[in-house]
Amino acid sequence: MEDELRLVNLLLPFTPVRARWLKTLLAVQALAAIGLWAASGCKTLPSPVEIGAAWVDLVRHQGLLFELWTSVKVSVLALVVSTLAAVAVAALATAPVFTPVAKLASTLRFLGFAGLTYVFMLISSDANALRVWILAFGMFVFMVTALLADLAATPRDQIDHCRTLGMRHWRITGEVVVLGKADVILDLMRQNAAIGWTLLTLVEGMTRSAGGIGAMLLNQNRYFLLAGVFAIQLTILAFGLAQDALLSLLKDAVCPWSTLGKEQART
Amino acid sequence: MTGHPAYTIGERLLTIDNVCVHYDRPILEGVSGHIDNIRRDDRPQGQVVCLLGPSGIGKSQLFRCIAGLQRPTCGSVRLNAQQREVQPGEVGVVAQNYPLFNHRSVWGNLTLAARRHGRTDDQAREACLDLLEKFGLVDSAKCHPMMLSGGQRQRVAIAQQLLCSSHFLLMDEPFSGLDPLAKTAVCDTLIEVSTSHELNTIIVVTHDIESAIRISDTLWLLGRNRDERGPAAGGASIRQTIDLAGMGLAWDPDIESRSEFRELAAALKARFATL
Repeated sequence: MEDELRLVNLLLPFTPVRARWLKTLLAVQALAAIGLWAASGCKTLPSPVEIGAAWVDLVRHQGLLFELWTSVKVSVLALVVSTLAAVAVAALATAPVFTPVAKLASTLRFLGFAGLTYVFMLISSDANALRVWILAFGMFVFMVTALLADLAATPRDQIDHCRTLGMRHWRITGEVVVLGKADVILDLMRQNAAIGWTLLTLVEGMTRSAGGIGAMLLNQNRYFLLAGVFAIQLTILAFGLAQDALLSLLKDAVCPWSTLGKEQART
Repeated sequence: MTGHPAYTIGERLLTIDNVCVHYDRPILEGVSGHIDNIRRDDRPQGQVVCLLGPSGIGKSQLFRCIAGLQRPTCGSVRLNAQQREVQPGEVGVVAQNYPLFNHRSVWGNLTLAARRHGRTDDQAREACLDLLEKFGLVDSAKCHPMMLSGGQRQRVAIAQQLLCSSHFLLMDEPFSGLDPLAKTAVCDTLIEVSTSHELNTIIVVTHDIESAIRISDTLWLLGRNRDERGPAAGGASIRQTIDLAGMGLAWDPDIESRSEFRELAAALKARFATL
């Protein structure tokens, strides 16, 4: 009876659930989805077996893992560049003279890449550098927007607290914006890493000759090789999830206080 | 009957000179007061002044002015024998929510404050260890503020501010929302801080009349300015200074059992209505 009540409660919003229950739910739902997919008999979509075979073929004969590594290097470099730039702009925005520049940088998120590629071409030495610049720009505008929003929500108490300790100006910025928001920055890096993978196909499509998993995906899609397309997508998904878990571990290691806060909020 | 403890008045430590704060209307107008060094022969005796007043009267504005966090529209707040105008960082501030750097451990919070006062690393370490022991926080040194209880957090916040201020400590509503036992613990902590150095001076902003009488040597009543006919004439100022030391009501651990304590508390409650 108690178990039945618990199962019913799973349908109710904000019901506290043990992590073990959530993992079980996730496994059951994932298995159900794969089962439905395999049993659907749909001729348009490739079956899991066909995708598996396509993945083996892509790895053995078309260098999928090498192309993945090419893309990872671009993605990670762009993530580092965009994070450093966004944190620098957000920190500078604490001084009134730089606030308009920071807000302008944030508004650039509405721009597409068309046209901007020519600007980045001028400062890029090769196709890989061009990819890094474009991707970093795409990540930077969203990261700076989120950081500025977080900065605006900083309570006056925190700034006053720094001042009572005799801190001044940029020292306060360093303590509050850089060190104090390290957990926010790492969370935004996780989000931006995901945005990066979605933008990668677009960016690598502009310079296909330099390879990369995004370019490979476009080539498979061009010839309507759906099994290959899904195999590559699933590879990106698996790598993205692993990268996300790694960044999450990094955040827990570097910013243990952020987890403590969540635990306290839950209790 | 408890005898009045002997004391003498020394040099001026803090002067609030005709402070006013105006926004679209006057909030504070002509606030004046001072704190002098109280000396007792048998022990180091710091000063504890409680600022009492109804909600919305401008206590927080005065608090910010005394801390040097806000420049008053007119007038000044001056500190120490030199009577120099207060600068941020000279007066320690423990706000109601006990702000600490959540991204630093207790030790990190304290050493950060200690190093900012021009101490060497060794001196900072020694000063922090001394305060950790004094406040019973040695076991919590590696904890982050989120892991501390409210009382522990308050003691870390006080220790942090003591490490970097020049003997002045401002506390905003330290008794707010506490049960009687916790209030007693906070009172004991404040008395301990005030008696740990001759020049330690604590200004407490509070609504809690009983706790204020228990720990203070002076009470400031902040109230609305009134003209001869009675109604508020704009802004608020210190309407009355009550010298508890002079009345023999300061530094008595058993003060709550005395009839004068109960009479003063009742009188102050009645006075609140006219502030």
